[in-house]
Amino acid sequence: MRTLDPQSLTKHVDRLYRAAWALCGSREDAEDLVQETFARVLSRPRVLQGDDELYYLMRVLRNTFLTSLRTASRRPVKGAVIEDVVAADPRPTNRPEQAYEVQEVYEAISRLPDNFRMALVAVDVLGLSYREAARALRVRESTLTTRVFRARKQVAAGLTGEPAQEKQLAETGREGTGASGVSYSEENPS
Amino acid sequence: MSEKSPPTESELVDFVRSIDVAAPPELHRRIDAMVTASSPARDRRQPRLRFGVTGALAAAVIAVVLVIATSGASSTLTLHTAVALTQRAPTMPAPAESPSEDGTLAAHVEDVAFPYWEDRGWRASGERVDRAAGRSVTTVFYHGAHGQWVGYAIVGGTPAPSVSGGVVVKRGGVPYRFTVTNGVKVMTWLRSGHLCVVAGHGVSNATLLSLASGVGKGAQAA
Repeated sequence: MRTLDPQSLTKHVDRLYRAAWALCGSREDAEDLVQETFARVLSRPRVLQGDDELYYLMRVLRNTFLTSLRTASRRPVKGAVIEDVVAADPRPTNRPEQAYEVQEVYEAISRLPDNFRMALVAVDVLGLSYREAARALRVRESTLTTRVFRARKQVAAGLTGEPAQEKQLAETGREGTGASGVSYSEENPS
Repeated sequence: MSEKSPPTESELVDFVRSIDVAAPPELHRRIDAMVTASSPARDRRQPRLRFGVTGALAAAVIAVVLVIATSGASSTLTLHTAVALTQRAPTMPAPAESPSEDGTLAAHVEDVAFPYWEDRGWRASGERVDRAAGRSVTTVFYHGAHGQWVGYAIVGGTPAPSVSGGVVVKRGGVPYRFTVTNGVKVMTWLRSGHLCVVAGHGVSNATLLSLASGVGKGAQAA
């Protein structure tokens, strides 16, 4: 066990931002989500049980995201009425030719059902191992593996315009091994 | 990833893992500011321990003197409290538009009037007046066309309570301070020496800034 050093967290901002973008589907919401995640983490001293700060940040990001979803569902809001005065970042990537595709892929990820989205973001966007991702999302590793597999299929299908054949299955929660009884715990690490 | 060449799942994975998008510099600055703000509290503990009992007593005496010197009922109102008031329910009907039709409502704190935003899509929906730490805090609530809402509070009395931390953005030479307090996005600034607080859920930072900076008359550095 060790105390989390706030200074060490800043190196994760970019990765967390990408994860937040994929969760939210919008860069503006991603900024808010990352900031809120850091606000939670920094609100008091934290003790980590493992060494991996990224794993811990993923857990807080997930909880913050779910909280924001619940808040949004209570106060449904779509878009601002008055014009936004903050210009969008014109250079979202070091490879400008990727910019459109990045937006497209992250939007496709953001349209996944919550549990699939979390799994894919944890593994493919944040780069956690299956074990770390399963711990962060509080599911069995086998469940996580199934979710990642199906999430990738859905995103690929979504990008080619094919009907997402897995969608109905996902929404009914029938995910095969380990899926039952291991849905999201609401335990909050923050 | 292009439309001409649909990705296989392994191509998709390779692509997603290759994305190197960096967070906007402004977000980095905000996070850095938050980390810096969170660090000194812990750093200060060590010197205090080295001072021992004498040092602690001296620090306590200094703290008491400072509190006495700076206290007045007005100095203890925190941003946390002001923001909490903007999240409560209104207790009075919405104020009407000012008869003078000068872009304000018929509600004000001393000489600072609440803005009339209906022509900008934000209708005043209620009002409440509270007292906190010896100051009056008047809040007018505004609703947007899509159900979003903000609470706009003006704190009575000058000098205004000080606000620190967060990120400062200037519009028209006026500093607007953005913070997140208890999970609520908050914009603070001064109008004619009075602390103004606009806070809301479901609104973007840009919207808060636009609303706040749209009432620049009498605005000053916070």
